[in-house]
Amino acid sequence: MSKKKLLKLLSYSFLTLVIFLLPLFIRQPYILHVLIMMGVNIILASSLRFIATSGQFSLAHAGMVSIGAYASPLLVMKQGFSFWVTFPIAGATSMIIACLIGYPFARLKGIYFTMVTLFLTEFIKLIAEQWRGLTGGVYGITGIPRPNAIIIPELLNVSFSSKVDFYYLALIMVIVTLLILYAIESSRIGMTFLSIQQSDLLAESVGVNSTGFRVLAFSIGCFFAGLDGAFYSHYLSAIAPGSFGFLLSIYAFIYMVVGGRRKFSGPIIGAIILTLIPELSRGFKEYEPFVFAGILLLVILLLREGVVSLPERLNKIIKRRFSHA
Amino acid sequence: MTKYFGGLAAVNGLDFDVSRGELVGLIGPNGAGKTTVFNLITGFIWPSKGKVIFKGKDITGQKPHLIAKTGIVRTFQATTLFSHFSVLQNIVAACYLKSEVNFWGAIFHTSNSLKKEEGVLRRAFEIVRFVGLEAFKDHPTRGLPHGYKRILGIAVSLAADPQLLLLDEPLSGMNAEEVDRAVTLIRRIWERGTTILLIEHNMRAAMNLCHRIIVLEMGRKITEGTPEEVKANKEVIKAYLGTGRHDT
Repeated sequence: MSKKKLLKLLSYSFLTLVIFLLPLFIRQPYILHVLIMMGVNIILASSLRFIATSGQFSLAHAGMVSIGAYASPLLVMKQGFSFWVTFPIAGATSMIIACLIGYPFARLKGIYFTMVTLFLTEFIKLIAEQWRGLTGGVYGITGIPRPNAIIIPELLNVSFSSKVDFYYLALIMVIVTLLILYAIESSRIGMTFLSIQQSDLLAESVGVNSTGFRVLAFSIGCFFAGLDGAFYSHYLSAIAPGSFGFLLSIYAFIYMVVGGRRKFSGPIIGAIILTLIPELSRGFKEYEPFVFAGILLLVILLLREGVVSLPERLNKIIKRRFSHA
Repeated sequence: MTKYFGGLAAVNGLDFDVSRGELVGLIGPNGAGKTTVFNLITGFIWPSKGKVIFKGKDITGQKPHLIAKTGIVRTFQATTLFSHFSVLQNIVAACYLKSEVNFWGAIFHTSNSLKKEEGVLRRAFEIVRFVGLEAFKDHPTRGLPHGYKRILGIAVSLAADPQLLLLDEPLSGMNAEEVDRAVTLIRRIWERGTTILLIEHNMRAAMNLCHRIIVLEMGRKITEGTPEEVKANKEVIKAYLGTGRHDT
């Protein structure tokens, strides 16, 4: 058992090392860009799954990303704060809004919760489009400054002028996010989320405040969505409300379901695959939603537990073949 | 302990009390409002009139989780379990009240939270052994035979450490052997000092188990008394046992 654990730990650290050293071998900005977007999507899908562990499917994620994506650059450009201050503030803003809205929302269950979160996304988008004085209307914000340089004399000089610097920032963000989400999920709190998912009535009957826990899951998930948004806006240096429509929420949902929502690795795998597919088929860019929908349908029909369940399924099939022979 | 309801259509002007250390049965034909009474006591629905008093405190209109905290825990008529968890995990999850740790403690595994987790695990093992599901402790809940599922339902409620346990048809769907085992279990829970109020359709078991029986019909109490008194009551026979067969 401990040997298996050690092996797992070793393989994970090896994987991390490889990912860390990747920019030494890959210098093409395009590939780095794809990898960075992969990181953004991993956080998006994983934080969405985190909310889903408490039994609620949120379509508010695009809205929460856009809150973070507007909060950080606005504070930097209008108030002159440093990115390193506004970055966590962006997450916290999404979290506070999620917490305030979460209480009335969490009274609704199942599909009704999902519906109001969808409206929330559209509502936030409308605000971003209409509040021209602050958000720049439909044209959004352009010329968002890069994160402030980190300079430690003779040791470190990160100016965020190349994609490599952003790559490392994204990588650290992904690792920290996943570690925190995993720590919560494997703790007592995560178990309580799962029990609420399975039966909120039973959980309440043994003393669990299920509404409170659902709001907690929602707020934490939205915190990381906000962080993600802040990174996204400073990375692309321009944002517009159009990119945070409900389609983004749906995409996050598809990443999660295609990867497999029962496992922690599910949304990670899903985000990786579905970031790569559109890049590999650039010619079909305008048909992207159709491609995604097709993949989603295939997964739902053939692999209900997502791509991560593929090895397990193959194993079963092989075993069955052998036992028949 | 006094509980009092009234005014609801499904439960009409009902008034009864259960004292500490009693084992009381609540019987009545289908639709008499028995489960509604449980829902009212545990705060899943709120009475339109009347009060629920527990240990001298008015707990009417409180949320279910707070009522569970005061010591009233219920089971459900339809087998309700955390179906993706194993048997032991079900109980560990239900030990929630005994394991309330603060947010950071749970995440960073502080020594305090680890000690608590250990305590919870020990407690869950104790409960599994107590209800006799030890052999199934790592069994997935889904594939469990019905009788064991019902027992696990009771085990889950025990994990919340009830002073008053409300059992909603604990024997439903069980075969004779399972009924015997469940009856023994319920009696042992009572012997440990838990007050029990149970709804049951299995007359023989209910008469055998309970010290006192309350009979409901159309949301009203038609009589209450010892099993012998209830059995002899003409109104009860007319309303409920009418056809002459005493066991279901």
